[in-house]
Amino acid sequence: MNSNKHRNRQRRSRARLFFNPKPCPCERGECVALKELQEDQSAVITRNGNLATLERGLNQGMKITMFRNEPNEPNLIIAVGDARYVLDRRLAAMIMVRVI
Amino acid sequence: MSKQQLTIALAGNPNVGKTTLFNALTGSRQVVGNWPGVTVEQKTGYYQYQGQRYDVVDLPGIYSFLGGSPDEQIARDYIFNEKPDLVVNIVDSSNLERNLYLSMQLMEYGIPMLMVLSMCDITERNGIAIDTEHLQSHLGVKVISATLTKGLDVDAVMQEIAQTVQNPTTPIAPHYDEVVEKALERIQAELKAEDASTARKQALNYLEKELPAELKPELKELIAAEIDGIEKHRGQKVTNVIADDRYAYIRGLARDVINRSKAKKLTYSDRIDKVALSGVFGLPMFFVVMYLVFLVAVKASDPLIGLVEGGLEWLIVEQFGGLLSSWSLPEWLVSLLVDGIGGGIITIASFIPPIFFIFLCLALLEDSGYMARAAFVADKFLTRIGLPGRAFIPLMVGFGCTVPAIMATRTLESKRDRIFASLLTPFMSCGAKLPVYTFLAMIFFPKRADIVIFGLYLFGVVLAMLFGLMLKKTIFKSPPGSFVMELPAYHMPTFRGIMGHTWFRLRDFILRAGKTILIAIILMNLLQLITVPFAGNEEGRASLLELAGRGMAPVLAPMGIGSHNWEAGVSLVSGLFAKEAIVGTLQSLYQRGGTLEAASVNIMQGFGSSAAALAYMVFVLLYAPCAAALAVLFKEHGFKWLAFSFVYLTILAWIMAVLVYQILYFTAASLLWIGVALLLVAAFYYSMKLIGRSESNEFKQA
Repeated sequence: MNSNKHRNRQRRSRARLFFNPKPCPCERGECVALKELQEDQSAVITRNGNLATLERGLNQGMKITMFRNEPNEPNLIIAVGDARYVLDRRLAAMIMVRVI
Repeated sequence: MSKQQLTIALAGNPNVGKTTLFNALTGSRQVVGNWPGVTVEQKTGYYQYQGQRYDVVDLPGIYSFLGGSPDEQIARDYIFNEKPDLVVNIVDSSNLERNLYLSMQLMEYGIPMLMVLSMCDITERNGIAIDTEHLQSHLGVKVISATLTKGLDVDAVMQEIAQTVQNPTTPIAPHYDEVVEKALERIQAELKAEDASTARKQALNYLEKELPAELKPELKELIAAEIDGIEKHRGQKVTNVIADDRYAYIRGLARDVINRSKAKKLTYSDRIDKVALSGVFGLPMFFVVMYLVFLVAVKASDPLIGLVEGGLEWLIVEQFGGLLSSWSLPEWLVSLLVDGIGGGIITIASFIPPIFFIFLCLALLEDSGYMARAAFVADKFLTRIGLPGRAFIPLMVGFGCTVPAIMATRTLESKRDRIFASLLTPFMSCGAKLPVYTFLAMIFFPKRADIVIFGLYLFGVVLAMLFGLMLKKTIFKSPPGSFVMELPAYHMPTFRGIMGHTWFRLRDFILRAGKTILIAIILMNLLQLITVPFAGNEEGRASLLELAGRGMAPVLAPMGIGSHNWEAGVSLVSGLFAKEAIVGTLQSLYQRGGTLEAASVNIMQGFGSSAAALAYMVFVLLYAPCAAALAVLFKEHGFKWLAFSFVYLTILAWIMAVLVYQILYFTAASLLWIGVALLLVAAFYYSMKLIGRSESNEFKQA
């Protein structure tokens, strides 16, 4: 089994090879955008490049639960830890999560 | 203690209880001012403890020091430049992890700190226990628990503050990923600062923020190389790397100090939200709450207005006026003191009840936590006109007063959204317009006054939507800023908290508006006293005020305000000082030495028809905001947007008032005036398009 150090090195090599500055830690197909999450579904954040949401606790590894996701509404309601947020759908499209 | 007075800054996330603690510490010893250079409300106060004076500064609620909104910049600049003796960091214990993020930043900057864990009742209700001693040992700062809303032991907090100021402890700074720590070390070595903690703080600042222009080129190069190295290593921006590492540290800390007695389920607030924000009940509930706010403001204040007016009239006009007359003082002086200043005081006092109830309702909505939910529900409409949902809060505050509403736009992150929301706040009928509506509606529509008043409120909201759509299509074409808003847990508001918030707002409002109204009314009385020969009326002489009113008549005639009703025109000018002054001016000019009842009869004759009165009310609803609001608009967004607001709103008010009057009072000439009004609408839209061409690039960049 590879060590973390070894896996990180491989990940960085892949990133350099494909010029991807923000490699997603999930295997291909496992990640979805946060806005795709169904109501009451939980997920773990795998990538978030937005500082405003990062500072509010939506950082990598954080568990997130979708409370409300109506396709015709501009915002979602999510639970992150003990906090509840109204989140712009445009921001949610940029946050990648892995469904658990 | 060596210092004569010590400065304490209250810092924390929004809605954690900073202002509650501030009010508890300072009581009534408060001053509300503006931060220098930018109009953001600054609250300072003081208290004495064991012979020592402590100045307290209530900083705006922020999530971090890196954000771009004005309130975040101001909190950051205050802490770094003013260097308070102690920062009291108020932390919502029911949401410890998120709140500790700001605490981490404060600790990294080595600021003496006391941490107050608030919302302990909600924490307990959610089955969360926090080991404060353990937390204290990890952070290296004193930590105390308190439920700020009820049963707060203020003396104990004051004692802790005094002890922490006397014996400040050094906060423990968190450690970052190896690559960041090495970069910090290399930058620190180049900085050659006096002590290690200052150097680390500076180095961290350079990594997180834009580099200052005056920095040495070689240092700039080194920092750029370090940032590049970190970003390559971690595959994300350096700011995100640091934020991620801080949260990693906080998560570890939270695991150590938080004990959950029950598994995370839906909280009380989540269960209420399932109904309050649902597709079925959310919208009706929102409208019911908004209608209740209006109903309370109008119905509950109505008997109080009569009482206050009656009482003050007896005291000032009958008793004080009688006393002055018995002293054989000149008539002009008695008139100035009784009708001018006394009338002004009665006018100010008569609008206190409706504004009190509006502020009371706003405090209830805010303290209970419903305001944020209302913003979520309103977002569906606001998005259509190109504003983020968060803009609902300034618009809602606009029902109380336009001045704090414009100030409240500072919480919006993009400049475009701040200007856009500021331009729409005057459409929300402020508390000062309510006495004007009530006064005229009671004269012209005594049986349907409440429906007329509610209709005017609604008309303002509908026009705000339409004007917003025009702004979106012409000037503010770029999309609104992204919307992230916390939904605070529902609270049971306390009587003391609600009354405290209402009183402080009301007091500021009365002091601010009172001065302006008194000056306006005294000025009006003086202009009324100076007369010149005039052939246009029976007396053969006219006051300067009458001449000015008659001069405005040709412009106001299409909306039913002819030269015979010059008093109404003059009142609109006094309304530019403060909207409440309209009632006072109308009353004092129409009173003509008689009683208030006589004034009502004269007003009825002056306007001639209820259509003219309704058109006049529509004009009052829409025309240029008062002097105080214009001043805030100037400070927040500059002269260009002040001029835009003044000119466009006045033209819009004229168009709408003319349409209302000409449609309700239809004659042969009405078609011409309706045509002119519609042509002006087209010209209005086209001119906005022209402005939009030059502005759109600016907002894209912003």
